[in-house]
Amino acid sequence: MYANPIAYFFSSIFVLIAHIAMLVNIYFNGNYTNVRSVAVLGAAVIILDIAYLVGIIFFKQASYILDFLLILIIGMSVIFQSCFGEVGFDVKHYITCIVCLVASKASYLLCRNHKYLQDKKKYIYAAIGIVVLITLVFTSAENMWIEIGSFTIQPSEFLKPLFVLACATSIADQQKKHKVLFFNVVYENIALFGIMAIICLVQVKSHDYGSLPTFLSIYAAGFLLRICYPKAKFSKKKLFAVIAVIVIFLLIGLKYAPEYVQHRLHVDIWSDKTGDGYQQSQALIGIANGGWFGVGPGKGFLANVFAYDNDIVFATVSEEWGLLYALMMVFTIVVITAVPLINPARSYFHGTMSACVSAAFLVQMALNIWGSCNLIPFTGVTVPFISTGGSSLMVSGFMIGMLLAAQSPVFKEQKNKKQEAPVPAWRWNE
Amino acid sequence: MKSIKRTQRIISLVILFFVLGMAVLVFKLIHESSFYMMNSDKHELGFVYDRKGDVLFDGTGKDSYPDNYFLDVGNIIGDDKGQMENTLVAQNIEKLNNYSFSNGLIQNGGQASICTTLDHASNRAVFNAYGYQEGCVSAYNYKTGEILVCTSLPSLDVTKGYDNIANFKPGTLMSKNLYKTVPGSTQKVSTVISALEIMGTSQLFSKSFTCTGKYTNRTGNDIDCHNPYGHGTQNIQEAFENSCNPFFAQLIEDEDLPLDRLKKQYEKMGYAINGAKPEYIDINGIQCETASTTLEDPYQFKTQWGCIGQGDTIVSPIQLMMWQSAIANESGRMTMPYLIDHVTDLKGNVKEKAKTRYSDKLFSESTASSTKQIMLTNGSDRYAYSISGYRVGVKSGTAQVDEGMKENSLLVGFVDDPSFPIAFCILIEDKDSGYLTTEQVAQVLLDNLKNNY
Repeated sequence: MYANPIAYFFSSIFVLIAHIAMLVNIYFNGNYTNVRSVAVLGAAVIILDIAYLVGIIFFKQASYILDFLLILIIGMSVIFQSCFGEVGFDVKHYITCIVCLVASKASYLLCRNHKYLQDKKKYIYAAIGIVVLITLVFTSAENMWIEIGSFTIQPSEFLKPLFVLACATSIADQQKKHKVLFFNVVYENIALFGIMAIICLVQVKSHDYGSLPTFLSIYAAGFLLRICYPKAKFSKKKLFAVIAVIVIFLLIGLKYAPEYVQHRLHVDIWSDKTGDGYQQSQALIGIANGGWFGVGPGKGFLANVFAYDNDIVFATVSEEWGLLYALMMVFTIVVITAVPLINPARSYFHGTMSACVSAAFLVQMALNIWGSCNLIPFTGVTVPFISTGGSSLMVSGFMIGMLLAAQSPVFKEQKNKKQEAPVPAWRWNE
Repeated sequence: MKSIKRTQRIISLVILFFVLGMAVLVFKLIHESSFYMMNSDKHELGFVYDRKGDVLFDGTGKDSYPDNYFLDVGNIIGDDKGQMENTLVAQNIEKLNNYSFSNGLIQNGGQASICTTLDHASNRAVFNAYGYQEGCVSAYNYKTGEILVCTSLPSLDVTKGYDNIANFKPGTLMSKNLYKTVPGSTQKVSTVISALEIMGTSQLFSKSFTCTGKYTNRTGNDIDCHNPYGHGTQNIQEAFENSCNPFFAQLIEDEDLPLDRLKKQYEKMGYAINGAKPEYIDINGIQCETASTTLEDPYQFKTQWGCIGQGDTIVSPIQLMMWQSAIANESGRMTMPYLIDHVTDLKGNVKEKAKTRYSDKLFSESTASSTKQIMLTNGSDRYAYSISGYRVGVKSGTAQVDEGMKENSLLVGFVDDPSFPIAFCILIEDKDSGYLTTEQVAQVLLDNLKNNY
């Protein structure tokens, strides 16, 4: 049960007011033909808010900040996605958001006990193997999704939380060093490097280059925290070595990237604004068109541009709601990743998990937003919680659950069994 | 607990990196938003005005104007149709857009405008003076850099569109002031400056060479003079006034004017020598071509011919005019010209007010002073009647073009009057096709500027 009812009450009110304010904005400034669509959307969002806010009461947690932030951003996401082009309740996105919330709680329950996960590590590795196989067999460079009915699943998305778990668990094994030739090596680290390499190769094979930096960021954060364990401070040598390796890999990658990737790196979007630069140029025009306060929900033209609801979603939100609102949306996600700074993780495992999740979220968000705004090459990854996509939302929810678990971990004590006096191997026979 | 702080440091580092990136992005978006909007279908352009508020371009397209109202400035002001890239509107179209990130796009009543330094009345008077002949005229205030006249013929009235583009005369869609042309004997100003800079005034004035109508140089080529009977023995002042080719050919051959120093001085003045990549002079985003010539051997015809202002030497009229400012100001620095006095935003607030800027030093003050004196003497001796009412320092030139089939007439100069500091360059193409002289154009130009300035 929530420890502080007053804080719970006011936090809940804050979330509800934020969403109601957005709905009021839609009512006055939105593009809708029938006010009923606004009412339906409003009812759906408020019901989801209340259901979740009531639901969390039944979870025993040390902190609920992340829950409030999660439902805040999920509500925003439902409202944004329902307004693009014209106001109308987006049922499909609503369902995926519910899946996201459920996934967060499931993940929370799963990741609270690090000893449990440590014992199940072989299953984590096996799950990674299965997902890799599914990705290799069922997807291709032309189609990265598996279609099930009206839903599509991107299997490579599920590698992210699994890889985070692989990086974070059994860190204590760092102390088990083995002499191989002249080097002291940790088998765990070699295994992790191998997994990372396999994942990267699968991404390259699938032409999903956008996800590579996300996996690399998870690996960089996790690996760095592993190799510095158990000392209190970072080893500067190791820190620089990791940075140097990343830079070298990056430079090699850039030099030997396929032709179409090189083209994307150097494309001038304004001279090719009807070709390869179309999405980005339209995204930037949309942001400029929206200004600080937007043209109004449902009134933007970006809803006619391909991938308006995921790849260039920041620009679509900016156009309809204004850059200020889009930045608030980003700020909310940044605050989610910053919660471990306010409520420190309770164990090194949970801390490593939090760092990996935060790095993944922020890198993914940077790739999407900066890419769509032509600050870096356009990759087409999603913004956590905001972009459409069942896999993305489910995985984002799962990873939020990891952050939740880091706030309220479980350390199951071994029951103190009364130890029997050992029978001496040798007894004096009188 | 200390080791857990390490995990927090990683998170802080990534957040910091992300926030910094977002700050850069927001700055970029706000800074470039006007450019983005100009690339969309939605834009509401404002007006371009002359220095007195007369309309030079109407971005709204709603008002009506007399026939050919914009003809005199059509190819320097341009429009937003994309046919003329090197024009004021094309290069500064974002400034005309009635849009700002904070206020959005103003459909009606936006006050975004560009207020230029041009004087529409003077441009029109000079344009009309040409009649059916073609050429260009540029004039600016050599103290401040304000371009007052920049007209080029043939031209177009942008309000009439481009339906008839196939019948446009060559050069209609460009301001000839910006593009290189053979300077003729106006090049001798640069040669005099170089000689003064290298030899010094007293040594140059002590030199005298004889002209017999033509000069056979050391490699056996003839340098013809326009006076077939010759000018006799002359010093630099006389040769400058006579525009004597044999004198200047002999000057180039003179041992006191070493070629390497001559090349350096030419380069200092902005010439691209012997095929070097030429640069551009930026005038509010408009690119103006800079001079180029060939200086390989002081005894060769090509080099001598180039220093006289024919052959490989080409200079834009604007650059010829700019050198006049360095002479007239006696500073050796060019006053950099500009067309935009100020810009107003969509609410009418003044922004981007122009400031006077100067080039690096091209030559010494004493060289500038001596050249000024030579030009003023030329003006008083030869042009006092044809350009009356002004104390002018000038140099004329006749440029052979189309392999000598046609001759262009040029006149560069300045008015030596602190209250009327005007430098100018006048070009009449194919001078023999009519009766117009550069002096007549100069008189019209200066009279109109005097009345309207």
